[in-house]
Amino acid sequence: MESRESATAPAQPDRGARLEVLVDAARSGREDAIGQIVTELSPLLWQVARAAGSSTSDAEDVLQTVWLRLLTHLDAIHTSAALTAWLVTTTRREAWRVRGAGRRQVPVDQDGLAAVPDQRPGAEDLAVAADLRRELWEALGQLPPHCQELLRIVAFVPRPDYDVVAAQLGMPRGSIGPTRGRCLAKLRALLASSAEGNPDDASRPERQAGR
Amino acid sequence: MMHPDLSGRPADDETPDESDLAILDGVRELFQAADPMPASLPEQIRFWLALRDLEVEVARLCAEDDGRLLAARGTEQSRTITFDSDSLTIMIRVDANRDGSARIDGWLAPPQSRTIELRTMAETLTTDADDGGRFAFRRVPRGTAQLVARAGPDPDGPTVVAPALVL
Repeated sequence: MESRESATAPAQPDRGARLEVLVDAARSGREDAIGQIVTELSPLLWQVARAAGSSTSDAEDVLQTVWLRLLTHLDAIHTSAALTAWLVTTTRREAWRVRGAGRRQVPVDQDGLAAVPDQRPGAEDLAVAADLRRELWEALGQLPPHCQELLRIVAFVPRPDYDVVAAQLGMPRGSIGPTRGRCLAKLRALLASSAEGNPDDASRPERQAGR
Repeated sequence: MMHPDLSGRPADDETPDESDLAILDGVRELFQAADPMPASLPEQIRFWLALRDLEVEVARLCAEDDGRLLAARGTEQSRTITFDSDSLTIMIRVDANRDGSARIDGWLAPPQSRTIELRTMAETLTTDADDGGRFAFRRVPRGTAQLVARAGPDPDGPTVVAPALVL
């Protein structure tokens, strides 16, 4: 499925340039351009909405609303980084708004598990997953919630846009807020201690986890 | 890296190195497996965006009640959902039929007669609201569905589209 492909696209170095071309095309009214942006960035926004606590059905509504709103904001957006940052911020706000509107977190007609925001892989997934994946998952779970949200989002952001998006996510919480670097350092420290069974004997001695 | 569209404020931590990127790749793979976006969603959104040129008004979901909490009512599954737009409020109640399909009873406020469409993944169902604004879809397949209240001659309102919901 193409969404799967696009979800792994952050590794592509020219993705940002391509998005900028698409934004220009969308601004000049090209219908297929906006559609391609939707296909490209919806996997990211899905994670943003879910990390902000949306149920799966809420997340679908949130994404629809955000994309519709983008159409009236295209004139103010010129770079891939600005596009990504605007979409991430707007998705979080919309997810909070929908939660605030009093919708239930678990829709009645859906598999409850699928709608639980803080979802973990099923037993089957864990059974087949490599130890490293399980270690990473467990380490993630030990991070403060804000770090979990930030890293989950940043992991889906196109790489050239990491800095802008991570800075925006950290900003509202002030200078002591979670930054990507600090969250990653914590995660690395947790991974190192779980790999060695001993926090003092980190597997990557060249890195200072505290920084 | 400067981004003049934003404040130009640089990130206050260093650029991620290779091991950071590898960890982030791992995080992405985990969430792709644990909580994947429904594969059909981008297509739905593109469909939704294509509607925008048709003089439509977009309703927002403004309330949802889970009727299961009202055990005394005796219905097995029932929920009410309210959509609001500038000119129209659409309230629907979703009940479960014995065969597993859903039944939708709806009301338009202010009361008015309109053609109501329910777009499901398989087909588009159509019915007419009566003068009191009432309408019903007796058997609706489970899955994603989207309500559209077509522009009415009286009063002369725009077509109103509600966000897709999962039945």
